[in-house]
Amino acid sequence: MLLLAVLAACLLPLCLASSDSDYAKLKQLAAAGNGLIKLDEHSYNILTAPNRNWSATVQFTALDNKRRCTPCRDFDPSFNTVAKAWSTVPAPERDSHFFGTLDFDNGMATFQKLGIQSAPIVRIFPATDGPRRPASGVTTPISYDLTYGYEPGPLAEQLSKYTPVPIPYKAPFDWGRVGTFAAAALVLVTTLRFISPVLRSRWTWAIGTVLTCLVMTSGHMFVRIRGMPMSGPNGQWIAPGFQNQFGQEVQVVAMMYGLLALAFFMLTTVIPYQTSPQRQRVQVYLWSFVIFIMFSVLVSCFRVKNRGYPFRLFL
Amino acid sequence: MAGPKTTASSVSSSSSANALQTLWKAYNDTTSPRLKLVDTFLVFLMLSGVVQFVYCILVTNFPFNAFLAGFGSCVGQFVLTASLRTQVNPTNRSEFKDVSPERAFAEFALGSIVLHFFVYNFLG
Amino acid sequence: MAVAYSLPSDVSPATVTNTRSLLRIIALALISGAAIASRLFAVINFESIIHEFDPWFNYRATRVLASEGFYEFWNWFDPTAWYPLGRVVGGTIYPGLMATSGVIYNVLHALHLPVDIRNICVLLAPGFSALTAWSTYMFTKEMKDESAGLLAAAFIGIVPGYISRSVAGSYDNEAIAIFLLMFTFFCWIKALKTGSALFGTLAALFYFYMVAAWGGYAFITNMIPLHSLALILMGRYSSRLYVAYSSWYAIGTLASMQVPFVGFQPVRTSEHMAALGVFGLLQIVAFAELVRTHVSSKQFQSLLYASVIGMGILGAGAIIGLTYKGWIAPWTGRFYSLWDTGYAKIHIPIIASVSEHQPTAWPSFFMDLHSLVFLFPAGVVMCFRQLRDEHVFVIIYAVVASYFAGVMVRLMLTLTPVVCVAAAIAFSSLLDTYIEPTEPDVADDSSGKIAETAPAVDAASSGSSTAVSASSSTAKKTKKAPTAPPSVSAVAAAMTPSKKGEKPRGIFGLDTRFIVLLNAVGMLLFFVLHCTWVTSTAYSSPSVVLASQNPDGSQHIIDDFREAYYWLRQNTPENSVVMSWWDYGYQIAGMADRATLVDNNTWNNTHIATVGKAMSSSEEVAYPILRKHDVDYVLIIFGGLLGYSGDDINKFLWMVRIAQGVWPDEIQEPNYFTPKGEYKVDDMASPTMKNSLMYKMSYYRFPELFGTSQAIDRVRGQQIPKAGTTLDYLDEAFTSENWIVRIYQVKKEDILGRDLKSANAFAQGKKRKRTKPPVRRKATV
Repeated sequence: MLLLAVLAACLLPLCLASSDSDYAKLKQLAAAGNGLIKLDEHSYNILTAPNRNWSATVQFTALDNKRRCTPCRDFDPSFNTVAKAWSTVPAPERDSHFFGTLDFDNGMATFQKLGIQSAPIVRIFPATDGPRRPASGVTTPISYDLTYGYEPGPLAEQLSKYTPVPIPYKAPFDWGRVGTFAAAALVLVTTLRFISPVLRSRWTWAIGTVLTCLVMTSGHMFVRIRGMPMSGPNGQWIAPGFQNQFGQEVQVVAMMYGLLALAFFMLTTVIPYQTSPQRQRVQVYLWSFVIFIMFSVLVSCFRVKNRGYPFRLFL
Repeated sequence: MAGPKTTASSVSSSSSANALQTLWKAYNDTTSPRLKLVDTFLVFLMLSGVVQFVYCILVTNFPFNAFLAGFGSCVGQFVLTASLRTQVNPTNRSEFKDVSPERAFAEFALGSIVLHFFVYNFLG
Repeated sequence: MAVAYSLPSDVSPATVTNTRSLLRIIALALISGAAIASRLFAVINFESIIHEFDPWFNYRATRVLASEGFYEFWNWFDPTAWYPLGRVVGGTIYPGLMATSGVIYNVLHALHLPVDIRNICVLLAPGFSALTAWSTYMFTKEMKDESAGLLAAAFIGIVPGYISRSVAGSYDNEAIAIFLLMFTFFCWIKALKTGSALFGTLAALFYFYMVAAWGGYAFITNMIPLHSLALILMGRYSSRLYVAYSSWYAIGTLASMQVPFVGFQPVRTSEHMAALGVFGLLQIVAFAELVRTHVSSKQFQSLLYASVIGMGILGAGAIIGLTYKGWIAPWTGRFYSLWDTGYAKIHIPIIASVSEHQPTAWPSFFMDLHSLVFLFPAGVVMCFRQLRDEHVFVIIYAVVASYFAGVMVRLMLTLTPVVCVAAAIAFSSLLDTYIEPTEPDVADDSSGKIAETAPAVDAASSGSSTAVSASSSTAKKTKKAPTAPPSVSAVAAAMTPSKKGEKPRGIFGLDTRFIVLLNAVGMLLFFVLHCTWVTSTAYSSPSVVLASQNPDGSQHIIDDFREAYYWLRQNTPENSVVMSWWDYGYQIAGMADRATLVDNNTWNNTHIATVGKAMSSSEEVAYPILRKHDVDYVLIIFGGLLGYSGDDINKFLWMVRIAQGVWPDEIQEPNYFTPKGEYKVDDMASPTMKNSLMYKMSYYRFPELFGTSQAIDRVRGQQIPKAGTTLDYLDEAFTSENWIVRIYQVKKEDILGRDLKSANAFAQGKKRKRTKPPVRRKATV
């Protein structure tokens, strides 16, 4: 009985569909493309026909090399994986939601019509007819928020809100990562005898600690979390603005901090061991000079970031 | 605290039974009567804690705060007493230079008072 | 023996000691004075007023506490917050701050000093900063010596990283929490060093105070176990560690559960499991050590170690298993987002939306710490040279805190103390080396020659010489690293100076000393100048009152917020409900005394998303929401006229995002961008944007202000379309002097049952000219 009801439910829209031939064609295209329809102008218009009782997810992209769209190429595999995962659900549900991809070179007119100027974009077209028409009655296309990242996991999760059943996407088990991890552990265990003096040495730990502190206080986490580039366009390496920085600044600033810290360390702990007065004097002057110059450079860098800073040293 | 003893004995029966005997003997020989008194108190606290824990698991943890207060008082008193025991143990003299046995007892008393103040407040 | 400069030799050692302690006391007093004084810029430049957002709630709660007593405060149910839900205040706050001010208030009144509660609240943070300086002194003294302690106290007294959260009027939990943090750490170090249960108990008591005062107590909860675990792994287990940790944990955990807001969390959540695990591990290790002293059988001992390791693994497995079973709650989102930095943006946008939860760029570090930021690694290396138990603590603290400060701007606050301590250690080592008057012998052949340490006459360096000599045996320790856990005596032996030949010799000549000290003193002076400048310009703004400069350089006060809040207080019915974005909830409750839908205690995401949805939908959609929640007034912040960048249009995307999280099919972020993906408010703005309630309320009648010329939004630098926006469901009720605050009244349903849009059209068509309230005041452009 239940089966019958389900059957009836999915046959009903068929009868209401604008033209059964279009629907059949879409099904066939989807089956041929492993769950993903390679769209052109014509099939795009069929897929997004105004009175559709199916829903669709369309990726607008530009994969051709001459378009120089790196994000498109990064994102495309994720979209394909999700589409493929969708093709494994049972037929009645599967055939009420389609995945399509429209390349710029196949559908320039559509791109122009929609006013799309950047790619990739993912839009979800809800059903406008039949039982799957949204309750709110809003049938305008919904854009997928690419700030969730280019990974298939969040994509599948977000798209599942619009599909009749959740997309059965499972992240593939990362054998490579596990393998690397196991290999590293194995190497560590076998070489433990030889590297244990290194691990036991406090100076190994000291170097690690100091490097961590230096890198963290130079804004490394900012660059990582915000995904800042190494340097800006036209080769500038200092990002304008107080709450902003490029990847290269981390290196430069950490190096300046490190040099200054080293100078203090030398002055305090190494120079007193020096036995010759002349050599010691030269070193004292040298490191004091280093401190003074590096600090001046640091302050002048800070003045670039914070225009209103009133103080300056040598530079 | 009972943990290592029981696991150790269960791992290898014959040799460890022997070892346990030597341990017991060594303990009886080297420990002063005063420390033995402290140890008795420790065992009592541990048993009391175990009973409460078993009750909580088998019967109910219903007034959870009351259980935590009771169990916490056992554990807290246990570690404070154990601290006192280590502090007054003559073999540890070199380690606790600043803490004389008298001071250790005063600290023990103060810690217990603070602990039981919170226990009382928590019983609800 | 050669000296670079001579010291008076006719002073008795007793005089030297007395003078030293007197000077120390004077120095500490002066440091406290400086710490308090530099936090008073806000009061001098503006007035004695509570700052920002959260402090307004704390102030309001304190007023309840002071006027109605502690029991009333404990049971206080606030019906005006989170309308219509209300809030049980006693169970959802950290009461430490309010209790502290309440106690001070009552003590002062008992002494017949009728001080206003507001002044206590305003001045609490500066007062506690003096205590922080003192506790940092105590802490650093344990690390090195008194002179380093004084430097650390001076650093933390004026460093901007700490001032930023503790200026006068910044009445927030952090104001007292940093003092508690440092003092708890001091007690812990002291307990560890002496093996005294007294200091363990004290640490537990201050830990309790900290738990009652600030959610950041989890930092202590994890730092101390981490330190203990590191010590155990380094083979430095000692009975002192057992005493210190056990007494702290047993009493501290039980005490922390007394705070209603914390409740059973210490035994139920993952954040606290590290402490519990280390506690269990210590018991096992202690028992094993005890057995080891009684039995010397080799076989038995190896069995013992196997069982200790087995028990440890078993315990860890049990904790993990319990977490999976759901007995132990996994990490909360706030905590988890520290590790998985992308987590918050996707799953809890409300946390990601707060500006102080953003990652930190390097200029912020330099601004907040100045020269300490590079003295800090040098100080950490100094700690590695000596590496006593307490130095391990500083090292771990340094690594952990610098990571956290990099991830979140607000956690700069926890980094600042350790930076001050480490920098003080580095700096005072430098001063010790170069102030020391003894010159080494020039002979450079014999290695057995010992550079004599200074006699006790040399006040400045007597402490340091022992410290430096203790550090010289680093190589020896590593060679000796034993397989069995060494007894403490071995560690102590490795720490004592053994290789006299490696002793540092000292500095030759007076000019070398002079140049280095000149450099150092110059750097300190620069530090002071920097701190004063940063404090006075960046961190002393109450943000409730804004300041700008007139062309002649004099200060112009912009007081729009209070103007608007007082208007609400005086012109609206007492039971009216005001809707605004959550940032302003506490201020409205505190200054206008009206009920709000959402406030800065962001516990109910759905409720906030409701407000976000109302703000970002069109009028027709928003109106039923407003009516359902009995909203009478809607308050927005608009900076377009004055160029105030922290306004609601700039926060608007977060409202959209948070609403989208709950109603993904009704609100979509991309719809608020132009087709090019830009966020615009001018002609190009997307229709959804232009129809949103927020946009309409912000720019309602804005172009009129500019007459015939083009209306320009000064924050975003964009031209606003001349046509302007219309509002059918809301009436403009009040706009402040500089248009920063705009308040709209929600119309009641039409009496004739028409929908308000057609009613409005009808009214307009009939009268031709719409009657509008005249602009209350012309804005001063």
